[in-house]
Amino acid sequence: MSALQTFLLVVDHDKEEAKRIADGVAQDVESKRITLIEIVQQLGEYINDEDPILRGKAVSFLTSVIQALSPKFLSRQQIQVLTTFFCDRIEDGGAVAGLDTLQRLDRFNKGLAAEVAQALFSNFQDLQSRSQSQRFQVYQLLNELMSTHRVALRDMDEISLVGIVDLMTGEKDPRNLMMVFSILKVVMMEWDITNHVELLFDSVYNYFPITFRPPPNDPYGITAQDLKGRLQDCISSTPQFAPRSIPALLDKLDSTSPNVKKDALNALIACIHSYDPDTVSRYSITIWEVLKFEILNAQEEFLSELSLQALQAIARRLSEGVTQVSQDLPLAQYLRPITKECNEQLQEPQQKQAKPAQQILNSLSSASVVAFTLVVKTVVAPIFTIYQEADGIAKQRALLETLSVLFESAIQVYGQWTTRGGEVAFENPLLEFKDQFSDVLGQALMGAAKEEVFFRVTALKGFLHLATLRGFFQDNEIGLFVQYLDEILLKEESVGRDDLKKEAIAALAEISKHKPRLIMDITFPAFVATLPDEDDGTNSTYLSTLDTLAQISVERDIFETLFRRLFSKLTILLQMEQPGAVAYPRAILMTILYVMQQRKMDADPSVDLYFDKIVVGLCRIVSESASGKGKNQILNDATILDTLGRLYNLLVRSVSIQKQEQVAENVYKLFSATEDFQPVPFAQGATAHQERTIIISTYLLAGLSKDCSNHIPHTSPDMSGLLSDLVQRCVSESAEPATHLAFLRHLALLVNKFLSKQDLNIAENLFDSLVSSEKRPLSPTTIRTIFWLSKALVLRLAPTTAHILTSLVGLLSSPDQQTSCSTARGFAILLSDDDVLSATNGASIRLLSKQRVFTTVIPMISSRIREVNVAGNDVSTDSSKASDHIKPAHLTALAGILSTISTALVMPELPTLLPLLLQSLDLQTSDSVAVRAATLDTLAVIIRDNGVNVIDKCGHVHSLVVRLLKTTEINADIVNPPRLRVDALKCLYLLAAKQTSGDAAPNTHPPPSISPLLSEKSQVLRSLRSVLDDPKRDVRKAAVDARSAWLRGVDDAPEEDD
Amino acid sequence: MAEMQNSNPTILNVADLPTRSRAAEKTSGNYGSGIFAAVPNPSDFLSSDSEGDEDLLEEPIDEQEIYDLIKSISDPEHPLSLGELAVVSLPDISITPTLPNVPESPLQTVTILITPTITHCSLATVIGLGVRVRLEQSLPPRFRVDVRIKEGTHSTGDEVNKQLGDKERVAAALENGALMQVIAKMMETCQ
Repeated sequence: MSALQTFLLVVDHDKEEAKRIADGVAQDVESKRITLIEIVQQLGEYINDEDPILRGKAVSFLTSVIQALSPKFLSRQQIQVLTTFFCDRIEDGGAVAGLDTLQRLDRFNKGLAAEVAQALFSNFQDLQSRSQSQRFQVYQLLNELMSTHRVALRDMDEISLVGIVDLMTGEKDPRNLMMVFSILKVVMMEWDITNHVELLFDSVYNYFPITFRPPPNDPYGITAQDLKGRLQDCISSTPQFAPRSIPALLDKLDSTSPNVKKDALNALIACIHSYDPDTVSRYSITIWEVLKFEILNAQEEFLSELSLQALQAIARRLSEGVTQVSQDLPLAQYLRPITKECNEQLQEPQQKQAKPAQQILNSLSSASVVAFTLVVKTVVAPIFTIYQEADGIAKQRALLETLSVLFESAIQVYGQWTTRGGEVAFENPLLEFKDQFSDVLGQALMGAAKEEVFFRVTALKGFLHLATLRGFFQDNEIGLFVQYLDEILLKEESVGRDDLKKEAIAALAEISKHKPRLIMDITFPAFVATLPDEDDGTNSTYLSTLDTLAQISVERDIFETLFRRLFSKLTILLQMEQPGAVAYPRAILMTILYVMQQRKMDADPSVDLYFDKIVVGLCRIVSESASGKGKNQILNDATILDTLGRLYNLLVRSVSIQKQEQVAENVYKLFSATEDFQPVPFAQGATAHQERTIIISTYLLAGLSKDCSNHIPHTSPDMSGLLSDLVQRCVSESAEPATHLAFLRHLALLVNKFLSKQDLNIAENLFDSLVSSEKRPLSPTTIRTIFWLSKALVLRLAPTTAHILTSLVGLLSSPDQQTSCSTARGFAILLSDDDVLSATNGASIRLLSKQRVFTTVIPMISSRIREVNVAGNDVSTDSSKASDHIKPAHLTALAGILSTISTALVMPELPTLLPLLLQSLDLQTSDSVAVRAATLDTLAVIIRDNGVNVIDKCGHVHSLVVRLLKTTEINADIVNPPRLRVDALKCLYLLAAKQTSGDAAPNTHPPPSISPLLSEKSQVLRSLRSVLDDPKRDVRKAAVDARSAWLRGVDDAPEEDD
Repeated sequence: MAEMQNSNPTILNVADLPTRSRAAEKTSGNYGSGIFAAVPNPSDFLSSDSEGDEDLLEEPIDEQEIYDLIKSISDPEHPLSLGELAVVSLPDISITPTLPNVPESPLQTVTILITPTITHCSLATVIGLGVRVRLEQSLPPRFRVDVRIKEGTHSTGDEVNKQLGDKERVAAALENGALMQVIAKMMETCQ
């Protein structure tokens, strides 16, 4: 049997084998054992067969052989013969693929390309009746010819143009259309289409608007957006389409479907971007006339936005190449009817259509400098006229808002003082009105009645725009504005929510970026002058002054001035020989801290100066004060030390490693020069003053890099001595609360951050000895020590994490009620964020630690509660009585953990967790309020993020609703403070409002099932009706929201989507 | 959509609408506001937040609360609220005892006068109905709701008032599916 016959037999079912046969024959051809002529002759009897399938297979054989030949093998003449052969047979299967192979060859020439194209045009009149894949092959061949032999096709001129359109007319398959559109776009852009504009335009516009929706799981991944994009490219490809495309697209805006309108507007914008300015100009006013209605009577926000974009795009195109502003410009002609309309609308600036008119002005005036100039020239003067004649402040404010809109455009066009480059050659047309603006805005800001806060705020914002506008005001004019702002902040009484003052501070901060000199020269002296030398306790206005100074001093130069001034104030305060109030120095420290937090201190070149002055300098005074040698008591105060510590922490983090090593050596000694100062660790009988310096030590330690651990005192050969000493101090009940917390944090820091892996057993032994101590009850300080130690170990996921957690849960079941209760509350410590033991401070906090704690502890708590419940059902009263506290303790512990982790972690455990949460809601006493509040918070987040369905899946909807309703009641037996009632109502609201999962894609339809809430509806509505009469307003508000959500959202059948 | 009857009404700025001025928010010491709030006071760490006496303070339903309930209802014609359009306003709301002669009776009557944006507004009845439905859903049962067109603001005010005051006709209107859909749409913006 010949190779051909074998091929014909296997080609249908064994592609591999068929290819192998063709490869073999190709080798024979290349080694000249057989000629191509002979192969073609062999085909003879099959290619004339009546059966098209057989003919197709025979042609495919030839194609396969050619595909297997090396690209250089065929001679020009052979290619020619083969091309002619395939063209004659083009309707048979395989011929198109053969031609595709041939046209890739280098020796394939222009003439042949034309021949192939001609063959396609003449033989595929019936293309649309063929299968999708055959059509695809034909388009692909055409596409290839288009990219490699475009000249040949273009030289065919009309023939190829009409031929291509005829070929694709009626095509419906999205994959094919993608290719067709891109082929047609080339024709539109590169052929002479003058005589066929209509034919070409109709060939693509017939597809508008695209309504295709990809089937689910579409393997080709073509979206409606892909098709829309290609179609849009075609429509906008040549300005010759304009007489057809623009009217047609504008007609589509009469459609009732917002999506069709959106497609039409997008296509219109594409046309504006791609057609030449002359063409755009010709249609500009027509487009405005139509789009006007879309903006003034906006149906949908996005349609109005797109329309504004289109108008702006026209203005941009018409501004191209314009070097001189004149009323004869096409741009001016375009803008004239628009500004006229806007001026009319703005006559009554409080009416609804004034807002869209403002938007129109904003889009157009920000389009280009020329457009800005033209708009300003026609709009500003009339606004001033209306302003002068306005009969009310509300109207004046609406006009100021309109001006502000123009100022915003000015900033877009001309830039701000800090904008780099892009200077504009045209003079700013607003300059003509500069004095008027200054007068009107100044008058509105400073002359209006004090209660007209919003009017004044509007004026302030307008003024601020102008003050930052590049090249507009002179410095003295901005200075005047700065003085106004200072006056508002320093002299005026507070009104309402102080919106004006807030805006004034923000404005000063903004100006400080552009004109720092003005702030330093005007605002600084005025503000600093009001700061007292000392706080006599009668007046705390310095707080708002410091607040303002802090917010406007983020720029480097200003900050240095601020620091100098405040530090000298502080130094004076610390030198005073009297006790002195601490509020003022603390406020000064907080101010410095705030600004340093806003700035990047590690990049600040003066950081070493701040370090020397604050860390080294003040530490000495701290140590003096601690040993009773201070001039006053200020630095003995815990709140001062805490604030100072935060400042140290920030600075230590920002300095070099060498400086950090110095700090490490002085972490307890505090750079002290006096002999009297006794560092805390191992000190016997230290005074409270001395002990308090551990606060400073802790913050210093927290800021150190891990690499400094060798420089910390008392850590060699290992830390066991230091840690034991600290544990003793932690457990002791004599320390002040702030000192105690510092001890705990200090211990945790050492264990978490500085203790080496091989020494971990030191900490673990300390933990074990604390937990297994025989002494009961364990004191609250002991339990807090246990938890801080656990926190340090668990966050770094020490090997004994599981053991630690088990021991902690074990303590909950302690028969001693006090131990059990304190332990329960301790669980909130375990994972809570801490300012000292934080990632910012380089603590080792492993990503999985939270998850680990949660997944370990929850099953333990759950099974323990089940045991207690079962035991409780037994009648043996004695034993259950003694352990009454155990269940609430476990629930409290649970609430503590839940309040410190994200709900994403909670979700997988929901089936276990939900029953526990419901039992928490069953608690009734006043000391369970915190637990119930935490539970409601957790529930609210679960419902908000996941919808009611997750609750339904666990089968607890009814139990949940009943408990929530109970929590909304005012009842003698159950303590439900207002906050709980509100939280419970919020959960009820969320249940009804979030019936579908929050993160579900908007297109996925909810399963058409009955809402799981339906059976609860009447009960909820009835119960909530009485909550509407709750004595507290917030509760009533929450009840109204919940009730209307249930009325509206809980329905028999899910609403039909339209 | 049918042609709008009043396509360009005057709008009040939301910021200008009357609001309840929250009596000075709980200030914890002098450091209550601004930059100073960011640093916790160290003594906070141990104190448990105890619920103050203010929990016991009763806050009766007043005109402002009624106003807050209805100001956010949308106008059926515009994507604007009744408050912004000044269709409802605080001075036009009053709460009176239903039975002034029986001082111990908890029954109270809320009277709301609505001001249509134009005197021939055919949607006045729908708006009145919307206000009524909103309040009936949101107030406890001891409140009677009386919604009327403000005198002199509507050409057929008496006719509309008759319709709004007639229980039977209100009930019949609420059975009307299409009407209820309009009203449900108006109330979507109530939060």
